[in-house]
Amino acid sequence: MTLHMRRPFKLPPIDPFLLALIATVAFASVVPARGGAVHWFELATDFAIALLFFLHGAKLSREAILDGIGNWRLHVMVLASTYVLFPLIGLVLTGLEAGWANPQFASGLLFLALLPSTVQSSIAFTAMAGGNVAAAVCSASLSNLLGIVATPLLLALFSHVGGGGGAAPSLAAVQTIVVQLLLPFVAGHLLRPWIGGFVTRHKAILQPVDRSSILLVVYTAFSAAVVGGIWQRIDLADMAVLLANCAVILALVMGANVAMARLAGLPREDAIVLLFCGSKKSLVSGVPMAGALFPAAQVGQVVLPLMVFHQLQLFVCAVIAGRYAQALAQEGDETPQPPPGIPQGADAAIAAAAGHGMAIPPECLPGVVENLALLERQAAVLREADGGEA
Amino acid sequence: MSAAALAQDIRAGRASAVAVTEACLARLEADRHVAITRILGQRARAEAATVDAEIAAGGDPGPLAGVPYVVKDLFDVAGLPTTAGAGLLATAGPAAADAQAVARLRKAGAVLVGTANMDEFAYGFATVNATHGTTRNPHDPARLAGGSSGGSAAAVAAGLVPFSLGSDTNGSIRVPASLCGLFGLKPTHGSLPMAGTFPLAESFDDIGPFATSAADTALVWQVLAGAELPSPAPTAFRVGRLGGRFRQNADAEQLAAIDAIAGEGPLVDLPGIAGARAAAFLITAFEGGALHRDRLRENALGFDPATRDRLIAGSLLPEALHARALRFRQRFRDEVLAAIAGFDVLLAPATPCVAPTIADPRIRIDGEMRPARADLGIHTQPVSFLGLPSLAVPLKRPRRLPLGVQLIGWPGGEPMLFAFAAELEKRGLIGCETGVMA
Repeated sequence: MTLHMRRPFKLPPIDPFLLALIATVAFASVVPARGGAVHWFELATDFAIALLFFLHGAKLSREAILDGIGNWRLHVMVLASTYVLFPLIGLVLTGLEAGWANPQFASGLLFLALLPSTVQSSIAFTAMAGGNVAAAVCSASLSNLLGIVATPLLLALFSHVGGGGGAAPSLAAVQTIVVQLLLPFVAGHLLRPWIGGFVTRHKAILQPVDRSSILLVVYTAFSAAVVGGIWQRIDLADMAVLLANCAVILALVMGANVAMARLAGLPREDAIVLLFCGSKKSLVSGVPMAGALFPAAQVGQVVLPLMVFHQLQLFVCAVIAGRYAQALAQEGDETPQPPPGIPQGADAAIAAAAGHGMAIPPECLPGVVENLALLERQAAVLREADGGEA
Repeated sequence: MSAAALAQDIRAGRASAVAVTEACLARLEADRHVAITRILGQRARAEAATVDAEIAAGGDPGPLAGVPYVVKDLFDVAGLPTTAGAGLLATAGPAAADAQAVARLRKAGAVLVGTANMDEFAYGFATVNATHGTTRNPHDPARLAGGSSGGSAAAVAAGLVPFSLGSDTNGSIRVPASLCGLFGLKPTHGSLPMAGTFPLAESFDDIGPFATSAADTALVWQVLAGAELPSPAPTAFRVGRLGGRFRQNADAEQLAAIDAIAGEGPLVDLPGIAGARAAAFLITAFEGGALHRDRLRENALGFDPATRDRLIAGSLLPEALHARALRFRQRFRDEVLAAIAGFDVLLAPATPCVAPTIADPRIRIDGEMRPARADLGIHTQPVSFLGLPSLAVPLKRPRRLPLGVQLIGWPGGEPMLFAFAAELEKRGLIGCETGVMA
């Protein structure tokens, strides 16, 4: 008898954050916030959203945005995928399904199609697949920045067409975006020289703050939805159709991105950036935005497609990135990287320190920058003595 | 009094170790140079009593019987935290045992009386320490003693103890020896016991003694190395002078003294010295930064302001640069050893100038004023880079601030350096100024 080795069967890993989201939805379904508590939860939610964007403003390095800007053709393609291709597919799908049983899911699908790309997972998948990480940082950051303004505007433009019903944001909603999202973001970013270090240093504390603020938004949203009778309006068939819709959107976008990269003759590293940054939709930006743009009672149903899509994209992209990494290893393609340079300037120093999980205290920053400049001078002397190559 | 003479008196019963120790402890208490960080009265008295008891019983405690000494604050001393000059480590757990070097000195009869001030984590040439203060140069208290082993140097130069131990990564023994007018040895890399010392950059870290004569330096070296000096001592020396970069950024009188010592000795130009210094600088920054990265991540502000920025910057250096600097070292070392094959001793300045003032701790390098903390080691750093032994010796400069010269030898060539230094002492070209008690 021959024994055959069987590949051990493994369940695909589930994002623990998604499990927390599901638990929050379940909790809100059983114990929703009611009566006087609603006001306080809404206040807390507003504060959490503002805090979230404030922290993102403090976290995002100006250099990360500026550094990769040179690769404009790639960024235009990524932005086109996020803000043109996605909305077109969303519009067509919701148009085709005009007799949708649950119009708020249609609203949610359209909303999802208009959202910016994710930052962290886009970059992580790009790195895993051996793509152009610097360009991914830039593309994803640009997409997120642009999304603060572009998503509400596009939603205002398209929701009339897409049959989103009461989801159209008024000028007041855009104002809310500015006050609740943009201002805290800019404030955070302007305070970055002082608090950027703290934010990075206390990543372990801030990450739960970041995530729990999203959970708070979800809880308030679902409470409102439950009180408004969401579970009476959703059935298994709705969920199945939702999942199918998300799969179709993802497949169409990814297919189009691969074709677009080939047509444009993008190098492999940039094609990977387009594939991952161009096909993502951000749950982190999307949930608070929905909280700001849609009436509380609708938010729960509007973000449901986003939650389904989010987990689907993580699964699919993880599999694809794994394939890329495997192919890269098989090719033995170890393109020698030029030795990375010594970080120069405050932003580069902060970014390099963050790469080591370290935050440079503001009072040390000038001295560190000065010492890095001194080290760079020594490195130049060494290069000259050592034959001059970079 | 020299260490050797003091040990002889104690071994012969002309002096008691306990009395010598008590007098020494009183001097440490009265010291105003910020040289000492901890006075180890109880331990010192016990060690001295052991020495006296052994002599009373007819035994021989060893060649350093009853001689008091201090160690830089980075040597393990059993029962005390090893702070490396850092306030951050003041509450660290106590060392379980003495550093190996301290244990060897104890076996030779020496009496440990205190720990000495240093730049935090040995990173600097100034001994400006936020926790303990700035060590003052006994020849002029308004000036730096040099560093990072500045407390060890000042303790000997001020006449507190006959010898002391320091550590030298890029010049941390030779720089303060030059500024305080002492003999200071950086041994062949890796030849003296490093166990139980707090590192800075392991590619270059060494320990060594400060003393007031070639003979005392040799005596302490023998105890630490467990080696004997050859007998008879060499008397003929093939001497060369290091040229090029070593002739720039140097004091004119220092260069004249080097020329006088070398006599007919030719100038040896080592190409790529600037590259060697740069590579040594980068390797030290990288290894120091990597060593402290976890601590910096947790509590950067707990570090001394004078060292933390340098350590953070070092911790951000790319690994590829460190690897490149190490590759450069290997090639450079092969080239230099070939170029100096015909010499026993090479001469070079120990520091580019006399001690800078504490008020303006800068020195002129290539026409620019640069921080002394980083640049006093311009002539010592390339020698550490090669791993060669180097003995800093004080030029005879009556009524002027001290200035030193490096006697550089072949790997394992310390006995040759001691013999040559003794010869220069005899000729009156080098030697410590006595009676410094400023």
